[in-house]
This record gives sequence, structure tokens and C-alpha cells, in this order.
Amino acid sequence: MKTADLIDALAAGSTPTPPIPVARRIAAAALLGAALALVLLVAWLGLRPLGEAARTGSFWMKAGYTLILSLAGAMGVGRLARPGAGLGRAPLIVAAAIAGMAILGAIEIAAAPSADRGDLWLGHTWQSCSLHILALAAPVYLGVAWALRRLAPTRLTLAGAAAGLLAGAVGATVYGLYCDETAAAFVFAWYTLGIGACAAIGGFLGRRLLRW
Amino acid sequence: MESRLKALMIAALDGDRAAYGELLGVLSGYLRGHFRRRLGPGAADVEDLVQETVLAVHLKRGVYDRGQPFTPWVYAIARYKLLDHFRRVGARRAVPLDDAGELFSLENTEEGAVRRDVDKLLARLPPRQRQLMADVKLTGLSMEEAAARSGMSVSAVKVAVHRGMKRLEKEVGDEDR
Repeated sequence: MKTADLIDALAAGSTPTPPIPVARRIAAAALLGAALALVLLVAWLGLRPLGEAARTGSFWMKAGYTLILSLAGAMGVGRLARPGAGLGRAPLIVAAAIAGMAILGAIEIAAAPSADRGDLWLGHTWQSCSLHILALAAPVYLGVAWALRRLAPTRLTLAGAAAGLLAGAVGATVYGLYCDETAAAFVFAWYTLGIGACAAIGGFLGRRLLRW
Repeated sequence: MESRLKALMIAALDGDRAAYGELLGVLSGYLRGHFRRRLGPGAADVEDLVQETVLAVHLKRGVYDRGQPFTPWVYAIARYKLLDHFRRVGARRAVPLDDAGELFSLENTEEGAVRRDVDKLLARLPPRQRQLMADVKLTGLSMEEAAARSGMSVSAVKVAVHRGMKRLEKEVGDEDR
């Protein structure tokens, strides 16, 4: 087919085209994934007593951290879903959130008697925390990747990493409904590791999964 | 270029078919020159890539945000299609991330290609004669104006331009033979 004929055909058949609500689609995919992750969590690990948890600062500290990272991931995905839009402020927010958590953890460690320091950052679930986050992130990642394919990401590794960050952070938020660790040092170490692993795997998979 | 193409894109999104045809026509011209330069002249895949990119612009036009610059949007899609092509043929090559300026440079139009050929041809003439030829034949100065600029007499300019044309005709003729 000649290019001129292709253009004529496309132009002749074109109709008014409303903008695709990119943000809404990504939010919908992430929320659907979060619901699946929640079902998975309840069936697999169960919930901690939430009424009690909601009265503790550590519960909200964890939720705040993972929700801010979710927001940054969603912003990154939203920008990378459009050609030529760049990254925006997402990396800055991620860096600020991680740095904030590191400072909280360091203060906590510094204030503790040296005998308790190992317990603070290892808690009693450090061996499983990151892996649980990874498992809970999987349905969120698949949902967001599916939404992204129908948009137009042109930097696939980066878009995949942003989707992985979003998925990992949402998965970690859900995991916070089970996890009863209270130390900022623990959250900094193992939540960040789990979410970071999701971003890395997401970037790796993005090159293949996100092609359109 | 940005403001003209963006206006066409927005008109097209609002359903203006003539604007859409014009937009895709202009884009395909620039894309052709762009891919030709990236893949080397005469590459068989150039036209395929042009069509794939035009089609992608069409299929993904709903993702374009009217608040966003248009030429980087097109460039990002062209870059994506080019990288995809390299991956398919098994080549690993870097393509600059942000080079909408190159995509929409005059170099990439038919006009630009002709201009390059003319410049090459003119380079064979002695500098003084080349300048006169460019003034009269390309810029469109009159013989009198060219004479004033070069400090030569009008009749000398006429002779120089006439001889220059003869010589170029001969050179082109030799090449074609």
C-alpha cells in the first residue's frame, strides 16, 4: 500500500476523537489489582486486628510510606504512558520518601540501646516481608501492564519499572494490613527492598510485556 | 513547526478531516527523510517505517494530551518504531531520546534533499561564480543587484552566470551519461 493511500484512508475515516482518560485507566487498573491483592492476603495470611492497629502510629507510618510511593509510581506510569512526556516529579518524590524513611529509621536506631538494635531492623518477619510484598504486587503489576499496553508507552523499561514501583507500593500497602512490625528501620529496610525488587523486575518485564 | 502541527492535530482530533490529511502528509514527509538518514539512503524499510509510524500516530491519537507539545510526541513514537525495527532485525543501536528538532528539520523534506544536491553541484564552481549563481538563481536577485553586491559590472555578471549555467548543465549531463 502506498503511504499516500494509507493517509487518505485514515483521514477519510477519521471522526472526532475524545482524549483517553489516562489517569483514570491507571487508577482503575491499580485499584482492581489492589482488590485482588487484598483477597490474596486474606486467604493466605489473614488480617491483623485492624481496630487496634489503627490506634498505633507505626501502622500509619507504614501506610503513609507505601501510599506516597504508590502515588509516585502512579504519576510515573501516567507520564510514561504518553509519548514524549518525560518523567515529571516522580523520581523526586520517591527519593524524598526513601530518604525520609531512612532518617526516621536512623533516629530510632540511634535512640535504642545497642542490644536492641538488631531486633529493630530485623523484626521477626524480615525473611518473609519482601517476598510477601512481591507476591501481593503481582496482580497489581499485571493489571497496570494491561492498561499500559492499551496506552502508548515508548520507553518500555522505564514504564515497566514505574509500573513495578506502583505495584510494589500498592502490594506493600495491602501487606501492611497483615504485618505487625512497628519499627521504621524495619520498614526502611524490608519494605523498600520488596518495592525496589518489584520496580527492577517490572522494568525487566516491561521490555517484553509492554510492546504495542 | 510545533505550533502549526499542533494546530493541525487539535483540528484533526476535533474531526477536521482535511486538517488530518494535511497533518499526516506533512508528518510522513519528515518521517521519510528522518528514517532515510537513520537507516541510510536506499534502505528498503524506510517506507514501512513511515507507514507504521503514521498508523501508530493514528491509533494512539487519543493518548495525545492537548496540553503537551506535539512534535516531541511524534518524535517519541518515531523513535519507538525505529528501536522496534532495530530489535526485529537484531541490531542494537542507540537512538537519541529527545531529538524532535532533528526530525522536523528542513533537511528531512524533499525540498531539503534537492537543496543538498544543488549545494553539492554549486561547490564545483569557483567561489566568486558560485556566489553569483546563488544570488541570481537561488536567492532571486536581479543581475543589477548581484552586480552591486559583487562589485562587478552588470554585463560581467551576466556572462559569469551564463557560463556557470553552461558548466553545471555539462557536469550534470556527464553524470547522467
